[in-house]
Amino acid sequence: MSGSLNILVLIKQVPDTSSKAGLNPDGTIDRAKAKRMLNPFDRFALQAALHSKKVTNGKVTALSMGPPPAVEILLEAIEHGVDKGFLLSDRRLAASDTLATAYALHKVIQHLGPFDLIFTGLQTTDGDTAQVGPQIAERLNLPQVTYCEDFSIEGGKLHARRIVEGGHQTVVSEFPALVTVANAYHHLEYKTIRGARLVQELQRNEELKAQYIQTITLDDVGADPELCGLKGSPTIVAHTDKVGQIGGRCVMHQGKSIEMLVNEIAAGTNIKEFVRQ
Amino acid sequence: MTEEAKTPPVVPINANQPIGEVLVFAEQILGQLQPVGLELLGAGRDLANKLERPLTAIVLGHNLGDIPKTLIAYGADKVYVADHPDLEQYRTLPYRRVICNWLEQMPVEPHTMLLGSTTTGRDLAPRIAAHFKTGLTADTTELDVGDYEHKGGADPSKIGLYANCLYAIRPSFGESLKARILGPWKNPQMATTRPGVMIPLKPDWERQGEIVQIPVELDPTDYRLVVKETFQEVKKGVNLADADVIVSGGYGMANAEGFELLRQLADCFENAAVGASRKAVDVGWIPYIHQIGQTGKTVRPKVYIACGISGAIQHRVGMQNADLIIAVNKDPDAPIFKFAHHGIVGDVYQVVPEMIRQLKQNQSATTKEVSSVV
Ligand SMILES: Cc1cc2nc3c(=O)[nH]c(=O)nc-3n(C[C@H](O)[C@H](O)[C@H](O)COP(=O)(O)OP(=O)(O)OC[C@H]3O[C@@H](n4cnc5c(N)ncnc54)[C@H](O)[C@@H]3O)c2cc1C
Ligand SMILES: Nc1ncnc2c1ncn2[C@@H]1O[C@H](COP(=O)(O)O)[C@@H](O)[C@H]1O
Repeated sequence: MSGSLNILVLIKQVPDTSSKAGLNPDGTIDRAKAKRMLNPFDRFALQAALHSKKVTNGKVTALSMGPPPAVEILLEAIEHGVDKGFLLSDRRLAASDTLATAYALHKVIQHLGPFDLIFTGLQTTDGDTAQVGPQIAERLNLPQVTYCEDFSIEGGKLHARRIVEGGHQTVVSEFPALVTVANAYHHLEYKTIRGARLVQELQRNEELKAQYIQTITLDDVGADPELCGLKGSPTIVAHTDKVGQIGGRCVMHQGKSIEMLVNEIAAGTNIKEFVRQ
Repeated sequence: MTEEAKTPPVVPINANQPIGEVLVFAEQILGQLQPVGLELLGAGRDLANKLERPLTAIVLGHNLGDIPKTLIAYGADKVYVADHPDLEQYRTLPYRRVICNWLEQMPVEPHTMLLGSTTTGRDLAPRIAAHFKTGLTADTTELDVGDYEHKGGADPSKIGLYANCLYAIRPSFGESLKARILGPWKNPQMATTRPGVMIPLKPDWERQGEIVQIPVELDPTDYRLVVKETFQEVKKGVNLADADVIVSGGYGMANAEGFELLRQLADCFENAAVGASRKAVDVGWIPYIHQIGQTGKTVRPKVYIACGISGAIQHRVGMQNADLIIAVNKDPDAPIFKFAHHGIVGDVYQVVPEMIRQLKQNQSATTKEVSSVV
């Protein structure tokens, strides 16, 4: 057994695209109207963090960066057994790309840390880059285990199994380390009774809530606003294209018997060439 | 004509900045060059030609044999080789150090750096980008160079025209949008690209190029993580990459048994595999290894039969390069009919069994022909 670890998990609130609410007809998201949820990939990171807490008798802090409603996912994390939540919320963070996001988050981590283990999700469903984790690891000069599908903590080291092209790999890393957790990891367990009760209480008692969840700004962690938000982002989305027609005009087969429709395909294409003889 | 003469030509802000090379990271696993590196050279060649700069490749490993020559045959003008026993297997920290050190000593940093969106590329690229504090676009499906006029935003100092920007294009959040992402303010402009999307050049084994051995100076901290074992899994009948025919199902298949039906259809073909949309995977009808699209695999089969798939952009980017796309959907307005080659409007539970019946009939017919000839 190792000593108790100080663990951090990074979680993000994303629009829920499984509901049609807030989805514009052209497919873009109206973030004000869209339902919100915990990034599905971060559920695995949360489970990994809670597991590490359990096996090392450690402590888990959850950190999120986003607008004020993101407190919701920190409460959700507490229901699952996280000890404390921090929300980095600052207007100057608007339109941050992954480099700026990683810069801001690493400043918070330096401020709150040191941590032995930092877990992130593999990727977000809105940014969908899988970059923020490794970029934080670079800023903090940490070894990283990406695409981690399982791990154990033995002899003061992290023994992990990660997904690689066409198979997997086992690695051993020293602490501190950053781990991005693949969705092949164990599913998030149910909320704990204690966590659920606590959150009910926090929702009634603002003072108590402030002891568990703190909202902080760039100034609180000494982050340079010039390196955040649009200013600190080397990339911009210059243009979005509606996806145009490709692949030629579709020959439609309809309004006849199924037998004839299928026959038209068999006759009008080369699929027969591939039939098993 | 006179209109044009009146407006003086705008000089791009970056007109006097030197333009560097186009650099491709060529990935190898156990001495085997990965195809994505060759695909990136194909795309990179086009960018380098447009920028009129050399195309270079960087490869790290041990006892790399013919790999540098192969990279030249596939379009690289120059190959940087880091050969060291400790680089034999990919590990983040040593690879990151060798590459960053090498780029740092270049008189002009590369204009563009491309890596594959593989587990390795996606592990390494963000480290390099964060080190150089430069932009990185994930999982691109198209690349180009061109001008960009920055009209406004939070930072007025950036306003103006920029020439020779990398256009990193990827499907974006939402159903039908593609985003063009740019970062002309800092080089290298970086992107990772999906394996299977770009097309390699035909190799020219006579092509001449330069091979440069680069220094490997590692730090004790680079050994904080050790690789114990790497397992290559034997593919169990899910060879989407090499299949001639892919029969793919979506949410319209309604249940896991639907995929059994698709397997029967696939069995009618000589070399076929079953694919799926993410929605079918998410509900658990078929495992993730079958998923095709932005967060699954990219495929380029001869025939792609899409059954009960709506054709969302994230699915489409994984299969749009199939030679022949046949879509079966009961909704005549389904987006998939905008880019399929042949569309059948009908219920998959009627169409697929009929396909199986006709193909089997065809099969026994040809077998008969063959046997009568013999
Ligand atoms: C960041 C991100 C990444 C994503 N990555 C991927 C990815 O890698 N791959 C992917 O596929 N998706 C991906 N998606 C999801 C994608 O946006 C779509 O939601 C998904 O592809 C839809 O799957 P579908 O076509 O099976 O389902 P639906 O959109 O629900 O379509 C089902 C279709 O079946 C038809 N249908 C229903 N019943 C029948 C019947 N009996 N007979 C015939 N037709 C019928 C319907 O008309 C409909 O067109 C991603 C989304 C995001 C946001
Ligand atoms: N705004 C954010 N707040 C907290 N964590 C984040 C944020 N953005 C990204 N992350 C973490 O980084 C991972 C990868 O995100 P991405 O690079 O956006 O795909 C996510 O799964 C989160 O764990």
